[in-house]
Amino acid sequence: MIPDIISAVLILLGGVLSLAAALGLLRFGDLLSRMHASAKPQVLGLLLVAVAIGIQFPTWATVTTLAIVISFQLVTIPVATHMVGRAGYRTKHLRRSMLYRDELAEAVDRAEARELAWERKRGIGTDHHDG
Amino acid sequence: MSSLVFDILVVAGSVLLGTSAIIALYRIVRGPSILDRMIATDVVLASIMCGLGGFMALSHRTDLLPVLIVLAMLGFVGSVSVSRYVSKSDSMTPGAEVGALSDFSSSDWHMPKDAEDDSTDAETAAESEWFEDVARGISDVADGPEAVTVRDEAEDGHSEAEDGHDAPEVGLDVGSDPDVDGEGEGTGPDPGPEDSDDSSRTGPEPDQTDLDPGAEGKRP
Repeated sequence: MIPDIISAVLILLGGVLSLAAALGLLRFGDLLSRMHASAKPQVLGLLLVAVAIGIQFPTWATVTTLAIVISFQLVTIPVATHMVGRAGYRTKHLRRSMLYRDELAEAVDRAEARELAWERKRGIGTDHHDG
Repeated sequence: MSSLVFDILVVAGSVLLGTSAIIALYRIVRGPSILDRMIATDVVLASIMCGLGGFMALSHRTDLLPVLIVLAMLGFVGSVSVSRYVSKSDSMTPGAEVGALSDFSSSDWHMPKDAEDDSTDAETAAESEWFEDVARGISDVADGPEAVTVRDEAEDGHSEAEDGHDAPEVGLDVGSDPDVDGEGEGTGPDPGPEDSDDSSRTGPEPDQTDLDPGAEGKRP
């Protein structure tokens, strides 16, 4: 009975994390803030639930399968979050006033300067595109 | 007594998971942009996985573990594909310049293979490829010239970047970090997100005024 209660407590904690992510989605006003909120149940909530399952079935087959599940989640969630954040930065789905520091802006400035220099060089040089 | 505590815990966990799924569904319906919808979809998926794991743990069955594995493996495909679609559609805005477009698409992950093939003589290769396309009749005539123009710009820009290694008169550190080319796309002339219905948003003009002193103060 005690393992059942421990599993139920762990699942309740997972539910609390999931509810925290949902409230963050509801209340936060920025894409990056919502991404920050939504990362909690995807990793930590699922980890707690996997520990609950492992308490209920303490066999090697179940535990290794749960390890596979957690490993896949740890690998794929940063990929998806990175892609979403990249698209959000490019399409300006972020508030500049909420950013403490934008380190990517320096790289963007460098790229813009290089683009400008390339355009100037192309304008001076042989223009075989319009001719 | 302990069974009552167990029941209370189970019911509370179920209510929390269901509430979080419903709130995330509200964000999916209401979300101002499609990226918010994808994040909310991920949260719904996480709630579903947590609920599935809880169901497995509390009903003493392990036959749902492959479902959990598949969800963990393939749950990110939707977010990645939609994010790529958003980047593509944003780079295809009609106000954007052709050079910026080609610069973005040349740094794309599927472009440099056939761009490196033409890196030696980009002009003749591009033109010959265009003539080949015309000769084979592959190119659909509706948007043929524009697409050919964009691809021509792309290959020329990439050839410039390739020649930057051994041509010191260019004076640019193009070859050091090739991915920076794509990051320059973030400051394109797009009007911004369409989440103006968000009540606490300040609007574009204060953002610009906030942006400019920070950008000026950052430069030494």
